[in-house]
Amino acid sequence: MSTSPALRDPATPLWWGTIVLRWVTLAFALGALLVHHSGYDRPGLAWAGFGVMAAWSLVTTLTFARESLRLRSLVVADVVVTCGVMLTSQLVLSDQQFAETAPLVTTVWASVAPLTAGARFGAVGGVLAGLVMAVCTGLARLEVDLDVARDGVLLTASGLLIGITATTARRSQATLAQAMRTEAATAERERLARSIHDSVLQVLARVRRRGAELGGEAAELARLAGEQEIALRALVTTEPSGPADGDADLRAALQLLATPRVQVSGPAGEVRLPATIVTELVAVTKEALSNVERHAGPSAKAWVLLEDLGEDIVLTIRDDGPGIPPGRLEQAEAEGHLGVATSIRGRVNDLGGTSTLETAPGAGTEWEIRLPRPRQRRRGSR
Amino acid sequence: MTVSVMIVDDHPIWRDGVARDLAEHGFDVRATAADADAAVRIARTVRPDVVLMDLNLGDTSGVVATRSITGDLPQTRVLVLSASGEHSDVLEAVKAGASGYLVKSASVRELVEAVHRTADGDPVFTAGLAGMVLGEYRRMADAPAAGEPPPRLTERETDVLRLVAKGLTAKQIADRLVISHRTVENHVQSTLRKLQLHNRVELARYAIEHGLDREED
Repeated sequence: MSTSPALRDPATPLWWGTIVLRWVTLAFALGALLVHHSGYDRPGLAWAGFGVMAAWSLVTTLTFARESLRLRSLVVADVVVTCGVMLTSQLVLSDQQFAETAPLVTTVWASVAPLTAGARFGAVGGVLAGLVMAVCTGLARLEVDLDVARDGVLLTASGLLIGITATTARRSQATLAQAMRTEAATAERERLARSIHDSVLQVLARVRRRGAELGGEAAELARLAGEQEIALRALVTTEPSGPADGDADLRAALQLLATPRVQVSGPAGEVRLPATIVTELVAVTKEALSNVERHAGPSAKAWVLLEDLGEDIVLTIRDDGPGIPPGRLEQAEAEGHLGVATSIRGRVNDLGGTSTLETAPGAGTEWEIRLPRPRQRRRGSR
Repeated sequence: MTVSVMIVDDHPIWRDGVARDLAEHGFDVRATAADADAAVRIARTVRPDVVLMDLNLGDTSGVVATRSITGDLPQTRVLVLSASGEHSDVLEAVKAGASGYLVKSASVRELVEAVHRTADGDPVFTAGLAGMVLGEYRRMADAPAAGEPPPRLTERETDVLRLVAKGLTAKQIADRLVISHRTVENHVQSTLRKLQLHNRVELARYAIEHGLDREED
């Protein structure tokens, strides 16, 4: 339980692949040595080189098998050691063997270093190690022909591919870890909501009730407690409207606007709309409500009603304030005041909806905002 | 006549507070219960006029308790007193037979008034509940379930519900639609009754289908 799977290097299988490959290619190098050693200029040096390769294979196996020991310095050393052994070929192979393009001392064992570099440093590291190895192959043979070029391309390409794979694996693991953290955060949020509901809310509600009855200063405290109670209730009962496929729940978003003086009603279920429209409609509602607060006085109440008619979404914001005298809005507009009414109309028009304002002295104001539901997905099936 | 009340809520502070508020306003608080099972059991013995029901009760939901109590005791009425965000549960409780809904953030005056209305057999139709009921009728019309055709609102009922949802009082609605106060109440009552009746029929149909399925097995 100490290391969660999410914390492991996701490229670990690639590292194990390179370890296995190193031993398979070492066996190949041994075979090549046995076949060619009688023709070598310096067979002793060839065996010494093979000894280094075997020893280095053991070192890398013991280190790269463990995540904590996959050190940058070791991976760089891997490239250097491989190049060093490869370059002794110039002294080991006879001229005739070079002419017959007999394999270098390292043979295919040299292909492993670019792979580990790719696994450790990603695509760029893999390509660089591949290029270094290609240059060394050319130096070891002291000529550049089709074989050397082909080896170079293969070495570079394998380094590149392993590098890309390792990077992709790490990225998707990071994404997964992020998702797991989000899930844990949601669970924690639900636990908090339950505990707030069970404790703080009950006490706040009690303070509000009792304080209101006692009157005076206690009533003021009760009012404050009541406001916090409603805000907390809305917070803990509103699902986080995640950015899932760009939709959001307008019902839940509007519920957050509820206060002791603003009542929000709507269908029991969700009203899902594109997140941008939800944001805009909430902003429009806030604007209308702030207008109520400014003009209808502190005692005015307001009601927000959300209706989902399938084809249309209807949002009504009503207050029981003194209303707006006839001609007042027209007058303001004529004087060049771009008031809240103009702003609300403009925003609703931009969304492709219509808005009407009904008001009369003493009868409050009532905004009705009607928005055709954006096409796509479900509904409208009849 | 004194109205007898029973309070169901799993939070002692809240429960005792409401009990005291109601006792101070002349109600006879007969019993309290902390969970759904106890609520049903005690209600059968005590037979209160009004049950104040919280929906968030832990193990068994207040919706189930509401259904049992309104089913067993036709004289007892259930008023849901719940947190503002539990929309789906509130709607289910109302369909199960509750005759009204008040948010817990309502004032003592509103609570007292609501309990009196409930005892008189009148629905407690807040703007919030009206919005949910409107939404429910529209949802049923849009997605017809198999079996019994869903109930529909008359044009007048829709008008009345919309005005309730916008916060108008029964008196204001009566003035605006030029009908009597009593007619407004009747319309509201009727929207609730149709919803509850449909719910009962659907439940019965489901039970029968379920039973038949089992026999076929």
